[in-house]
Amino acid sequence: MAGAQEGRVVHHVVLDRWSRGESVLHRRDARAKTIAVLIFLIALATAQRAFLPLSLCYLGILAATIVAAGLPLGAALKRAAVVLPFTAVFAAISLAAGEPMRAAALVGKSYLSALAVLVLVSTTPLPELLRGLERMGVPRYLLMVAQFLYRYLFVISEEAQHMRVALQTKSGTLRRALWDRGKFAAAGGALGVLFARSYAHAEGIHQAMLARGFRGHFLTLSGRSFGRADVFFVAAALVIVAGARAAVEAWI
Amino acid sequence: MHIPDGYLATPVWATLDVAAAPAVGYLARRAQKSLEQSSVPLLGVMGAFVFAAQMINFPVAAGTSSHLVGAALLAYALGPAAAGVVLTAILAVQALVFQDGGILALGANVINMAIAGMLAGYLPYWLMGAGRWRRQAIFLGGFLSLLTSGVLAMGELILSGVPMPGVVIRLSLGVFLVSAVLEGAITLAIMQALTAIHPELLRQPQPDGRRALGWIGVGAIFLAVVGVAMASAYPDGIERLADATGIASRATTLLRTPLADYQLGTLGSAWLRKAGAGLAGISLIYGALLAGGKWLARKRGA
Repeated sequence: MAGAQEGRVVHHVVLDRWSRGESVLHRRDARAKTIAVLIFLIALATAQRAFLPLSLCYLGILAATIVAAGLPLGAALKRAAVVLPFTAVFAAISLAAGEPMRAAALVGKSYLSALAVLVLVSTTPLPELLRGLERMGVPRYLLMVAQFLYRYLFVISEEAQHMRVALQTKSGTLRRALWDRGKFAAAGGALGVLFARSYAHAEGIHQAMLARGFRGHFLTLSGRSFGRADVFFVAAALVIVAGARAAVEAWI
Repeated sequence: MHIPDGYLATPVWATLDVAAAPAVGYLARRAQKSLEQSSVPLLGVMGAFVFAAQMINFPVAAGTSSHLVGAALLAYALGPAAAGVVLTAILAVQALVFQDGGILALGANVINMAIAGMLAGYLPYWLMGAGRWRRQAIFLGGFLSLLTSGVLAMGELILSGVPMPGVVIRLSLGVFLVSAVLEGAITLAIMQALTAIHPELLRQPQPDGRRALGWIGVGAIFLAVVGVAMASAYPDGIERLADATGIASRATTLLRTPLADYQLGTLGSAWLRKAGAGLAGISLIYGALLAGGKWLARKRGA
């Protein structure tokens, strides 16, 4: 579990670095990119026929987008594979149930969806993305909570990391009982302390914000606006994604 | 259990998205009103806490371990509306930044974990958290929250036609039960530690004269969980029941109209009937939970 969590931290750091690029795609408004990804996800989710050629076609479209955004193609393809362990279980069940096409659809759809979202977040810094979502009508309160969560994820994770090490050094026993009550309670105690510390952090943060003149919403530096290029981008995404699906379905 | 995109059938994810959006909006307004001004950093940091808490392993049996999921704990510490907002924010960040759970499936994940699971976890604490049965209530809340989320997610997958042979369903139910017991035990261990070191951080539940309604809520959750589990294990029976009551045919016409021009050849009417019956069931459960949540929130605000 802990290894997976550290992997996540690295994953986030890489995406955050990618999102600060300056390609044509990076310069598009967050709303335009969100709409384009939604179009892609819906076209993919509702696809029924000719799934294999369609998924190859969509993989090609996403790969071209990644290259156009100046991101490393191989690394991006590898990062999106985080969905595969979960999917593998269900694909195996589908195969065992005698539905190989269903298995292929589960793997293909979940992987391509994850890749599309990966392209979105690695061409849009998260604060900008959340700002775009706010302008699209998502409650601001929820987005501010999400922004704080994202900001403090690594601060609190680091404290949890320290506690984990402390817990391991202090509670090393050779006894492997079926149910070690003491160890279980010790882990509960560590999380209780982490909870209290997080709480104290939050109070400090709020006071610091008030001291700096917080008025209820965050200010972002790069104020992008929805321009003509963004309209064109959404239209192009719609034509390419829907066109590819129509073409593949007509051809098969 | 975060459902990725590509698993749920279109009627399932679309309905759950449509249902989740106003529910989350309502929770956000509710939380904003019921908490004082400093609540935004608090809720965000608590979300980060739940993320980070996964790094602390709770040893179970010889070499295996488990970790906190946190829906019930957040509901105890922050109240149901704020807990729903924090859990939704966690799910959104997981879906966006970590590709853990889908974007179209976000509504489904929010309903399973942030709304239904959270409310199921809060109810026992709200009813008995202040009295003699406090420990049992805390445990039961953690247990119910995880079980509800798991069973709902499985029900949605089955409705969407993901193949689930009987063995797999029974195995999953077993896994959910074990994880639910562990979540209950972990939640209890953390709550006891907190009660010992910082009791002032926990909100004391204040049940009043309307306990009966809360118990009906707990009963409804039990029934819903058992019902969905049964429906998953024996879909044919539910289909017959739905046919008999006419829910399925009505839901089917509703579903078919917007899809009229669409190529339905591969779907077949059996699939639609099953999905229609299931959707009607899920919407009923959801409606009951939303009404319960609204009522709880009003109580809290009053």
